[in-house]
Amino acid sequence: MKRILCLIPAHNEAANLTAVVAEVRSRRPDLDILVVDDGSTDRTMAIVPRLGVRWLQLTDRLGIGSAMRAGLRYALRQGYDAAIRIDGDGQHRADDIDALLTPVSASHADIAIGTRYHQGGAARKPRAISALARLLSARTGRHVTDPTSGFYALGPRAIRILAEHHPTGYPEPELRLFLRRNALSVVEVGVRPRARFMGHTTLTTGRLATAAARVLLALVIVPLRPPERETAAHV
Amino acid sequence: MSDRIQMELLASSVLLLFVVLELVRRRKLTEEYSFLWILAALALLVVSMRQDMLRLAARWIGVSDPPAVLLAVLIATVFIASLCLSVIVSRQRQQIERLIEETAILSAELRDLRAVHATK
Repeated sequence: MKRILCLIPAHNEAANLTAVVAEVRSRRPDLDILVVDDGSTDRTMAIVPRLGVRWLQLTDRLGIGSAMRAGLRYALRQGYDAAIRIDGDGQHRADDIDALLTPVSASHADIAIGTRYHQGGAARKPRAISALARLLSARTGRHVTDPTSGFYALGPRAIRILAEHHPTGYPEPELRLFLRRNALSVVEVGVRPRARFMGHTTLTTGRLATAAARVLLALVIVPLRPPERETAAHV
Repeated sequence: MSDRIQMELLASSVLLLFVVLELVRRRKLTEEYSFLWILAALALLVVSMRQDMLRLAARWIGVSDPPAVLLAVLIATVFIASLCLSVIVSRQRQQIERLIEETAILSAELRDLRAVHATK
């Protein structure tokens, strides 16, 4: 039987984590849950140990990319066959986990990424997102519809490579470039978006400008890097 | 270039060399990062003693004033040094990230082991 790890990266999500974990459990009781606390300064770490889940605590805020690398390395060492990332703020529905895991479990793709902007979807696509999607599609030669989606399922090969090299910063657009460069196959799966449960997004205007600059740099640089080697699973 | 400027330059480069070596002696500066500065000090020393090289370089670049070449060399040295430092800081950031990630994984594994041990 396949062992699947559900990764929940969280930075200051004390208000939402309990509900997010409960939702994942009720939909997919077979998944092991790993919360990766990314240097939270609220009561997140007071709550996590009482949820009955596995958890990692990063002692400083390193960003979602680092949280993912740590979680994926844990998955690799514990011998998981697949992993799924679902955010700790409630914007991803546990109902969509099945649809994301199906192509990965059937080995149709190395990674399945949830898209809010699939055909027949209700979400309106902001202009900046459309522009970014077009740039990424052109640079990767793949059809990218939701360039900032952080809801994705990973198969064994994707876990082995991303455990060392998951992009950092504001990583989702760069991830698309990285996947293409390392010949990891991608399918996009339609998901129904939802507003985060409580609190505010950590994206401010300044952070958004930094993110945009990093994405532009990545568009130029990432396709020029040599492909990464896979890391061997070590126990 | 006047003899006075030459003497000042000579004194500065000797002082720089001395400060760098003293920092290495006190282990405030590790050997691998000291070479950058030792090389810079030696370059400065050579230029201050061999003015003909400076004049040759000025003619080669097409600058009429040899001391201007000296200024350009100094700016280039500082530029290269700070670029090297950025590379070093970036590498250290990656190492720190890696360490924090590994610490988190290790303490989770330790927690798992303790839990297994407690139930035995």
